[in-house]
Amino acid sequence: MGSEVFLYAYGLVCLSMLVFNIVYSLHLRSSDRRLRRQVRGIAARAEVQMDRIRQGLPVEMRHRSHMARRLSRAAGLLAFDHYLDELDSNGPVFQEYLHQMRPVLLRLAIVYQKREDTQAAYFCHFLARHNFQRHMQMDQIQQIVATYMGKKSIYCRVNALKALCALGRPETVVAALLDLDGRPGAQLHEKIITETLLTFTGEPDALIRLLWERFERFSSQIQRAVLDYIRFQSGNHCQAMFALLQDAGRGKELRLAAIRYLGKYPYPPARQALVAFVEDPDPLQWEYAAISATSLAQYQGDDVVEALRRAIHSGNWYVRSNAAASLEAHGVSYEDVLDVVAGEDRYAKEMLAYRLESRRLAEENEEALAKA
Amino acid sequence: MRDFIQYFLWCVECFFILYMLGYASFLFLSVTVGSSDLYAAKRRNLLKNELSNEYYLPVSIVVPAHNEGVTIEATIRSLLALDYKLYEIIVVDDGSTDGTAQTVRESFRMWPVSRPIQRRIPCQPAQAIYESRAWKVPITLVCKQNGGKADALNMGINVSNYPYFLCMDADSILQHDSLEKIVRPVLEDPSVIAVGGTVRPCNGAEIQNGRVVRYRMPKKLLAAMQVLEYDRSFLASRILFDKFNGNIIISGAFGLFQKNLVIAAGGYDRTTMGEDMELVVKLHVFCREHGRPYRMRYATDAVCWTQVPESLGDLCKQRRRWHIGLFQSMKKHRNILANPKYGAVSFVSYLYFLIYELFSPYIEVFGVFTTLLAFAVDLINVPFMLLFFGIYVAYTAILSLTAFFARIHTIDMRLGIADVCKAISLCAIEVSCLRFIMAWVRMTALIGYRKKKHTWGCIQRQKIDFK
Repeated sequence: MGSEVFLYAYGLVCLSMLVFNIVYSLHLRSSDRRLRRQVRGIAARAEVQMDRIRQGLPVEMRHRSHMARRLSRAAGLLAFDHYLDELDSNGPVFQEYLHQMRPVLLRLAIVYQKREDTQAAYFCHFLARHNFQRHMQMDQIQQIVATYMGKKSIYCRVNALKALCALGRPETVVAALLDLDGRPGAQLHEKIITETLLTFTGEPDALIRLLWERFERFSSQIQRAVLDYIRFQSGNHCQAMFALLQDAGRGKELRLAAIRYLGKYPYPPARQALVAFVEDPDPLQWEYAAISATSLAQYQGDDVVEALRRAIHSGNWYVRSNAAASLEAHGVSYEDVLDVVAGEDRYAKEMLAYRLESRRLAEENEEALAKA
Repeated sequence: MRDFIQYFLWCVECFFILYMLGYASFLFLSVTVGSSDLYAAKRRNLLKNELSNEYYLPVSIVVPAHNEGVTIEATIRSLLALDYKLYEIIVVDDGSTDGTAQTVRESFRMWPVSRPIQRRIPCQPAQAIYESRAWKVPITLVCKQNGGKADALNMGINVSNYPYFLCMDADSILQHDSLEKIVRPVLEDPSVIAVGGTVRPCNGAEIQNGRVVRYRMPKKLLAAMQVLEYDRSFLASRILFDKFNGNIIISGAFGLFQKNLVIAAGGYDRTTMGEDMELVVKLHVFCREHGRPYRMRYATDAVCWTQVPESLGDLCKQRRRWHIGLFQSMKKHRNILANPKYGAVSFVSYLYFLIYELFSPYIEVFGVFTTLLAFAVDLINVPFMLLFFGIYVAYTAILSLTAFFARIHTIDMRLGIADVCKAISLCAIEVSCLRFIMAWVRMTALIGYRKKKHTWGCIQRQKIDFK
């Protein structure tokens, strides 16, 4: 009897799984249809209001209340998102419509703040995607969206930061980063922060200025992301980067980020420091030497080439490799480095020969492509 | 004598009740957790809960190739079609005799270079290296003496320039967004050291520029049955194990690893056939022994399309090899068993693989013989046995279908009625026939193991239709 109970129990499980499969399949088949119906419904109502705007009348209060209710559901917001995609977002009527819908968005920001993380993240995505900054001042919404940074879901935090960057006010973005730093376990990957900052729609110089002002208040992780953002955004900060590089009390990653910056934007006063790093014989400092060797590709001068030639003999593989690549970038020929190529240091010889060969192949490849 | 047989059968019955109860419960739990996870992921994606910007981590894709002349060009072209910017392709020709290297050289305009290699993990020396800069990303071809897949992967790691590497098979195609999706877990959580992707059979799929434009169940029945089996097994164990960081397999066909950690752990083991599983178990051991916090994740939405064998002979060779690899890995890391230091990896994952993967063919074949014995001595209730078998087939088949449809629904694929009917009818055959054939093959895999433990066997490849 005991075994039979098990058998029937598992038979029941089979049956319920089967029912689930069928019901879900049917639900899925109708989901596209439901979404299209929602989009049509929203479009019809919005068109009536846009006609009113064309006639010089305001959007009806009733419409705002209806939309606030309808968009409070994720499915409604999704349909509105699709509807906005179909419109000419630069049209003056549409912009006016969105401007008059500002109270609805403010209400939605409060509603979605209390919703589960998935929906809150979607609301932030919606704000970021349609770049409402172009249509209206939204300081109050920014204050509310900043609180979304405290949500548990990483997607919500990322989308909230994106929304703040899209809304384009430097103070809110920097405050959000500080808030993020203060929450244990809420940190974001440096690449995510850098890339999101790069989407900032406001004045980048104003943002960078504020980031420098608050720099010491950030954790080293966010500091690294900020330095990378500045590197991708502007070449006007060589002096500050050089000061950071010279500060031995700074963390290694920050100083390496400064070296990368000074490699992208050559700064003559930094040249000696970079050469000194490359020539540092301390094997524990190899990362400084390796990154400096790469950065020196952008610095002209005999002393630089000499330092790179010496670095070719380094015991560290990466220093040798980067120095060889920089020498190649300096355009040295076989004749210039004959002593290395014909020398006894096999590692240096191999590395340099490979780099020179790579350049030749790249040139041949370009010629072949030009002929083709 | 009859009393003894009766007592013996009673013992066997008790054992099998426990065994089947464990298996059925695990299968139910894993398919339920797996399906709900997939549906939740679909909802998250619908509501744009994803990292969608260009957060590019640099990745080296390592493609070990041994006599893959038929498929290698399509594989590399699929890699060039990836929606990703920062990566390199490294093909390691492991002593092919069918002109694999020549195909790659000619198809991708490659030139010989004398590139120095930093040999940080052991591998056979390189015989020649070729490079091409004429494509979207750099392509490197390394030709070396035959040393096995693990040896070729080690060479690829040594040659690679980037901090993460992705291993894949030369007969596989990555979906256009797979690289972007497999690196997401690393961006979400910096403690992630390895990520496994989903491997799906490409037999029957039409792929253009890394996008599946048409999907049908494979024409060959054996391949179609493997589609169901893959979905069940990927869904069954990997998503569930992922919940407690307990995955001890990341398929060699599609896995992303943090390079420095793999090098620190010694790279791939060149003496094992299941180098993919061995590496993952080794990384668990390495991180736990060194007290390093780590996570290994499974990315359900990162998809790699691979060819599954279409003939029974090839399938048997493949499964024999997998079983030997499983045996070698589990034997090598047997100290994990019942070791509290390894937590759920020991008491759930390792135990599951030991009982329901390594020992299961022996247990299942033993069960069939015992049933025959009971029938011979007239000690079996035939109607009950048939009911039991019927429920077993229906249960496993429905769970297979649930896994299959969960996968189909969540990747927005549409199947025709004929394909749905084919899936429904084949799942019962897969569970009741193919499974027992494979149990026999796996049971006999270790016979003559010492002689053939390094022999991979050759599987017939079909040209991949990559447009």
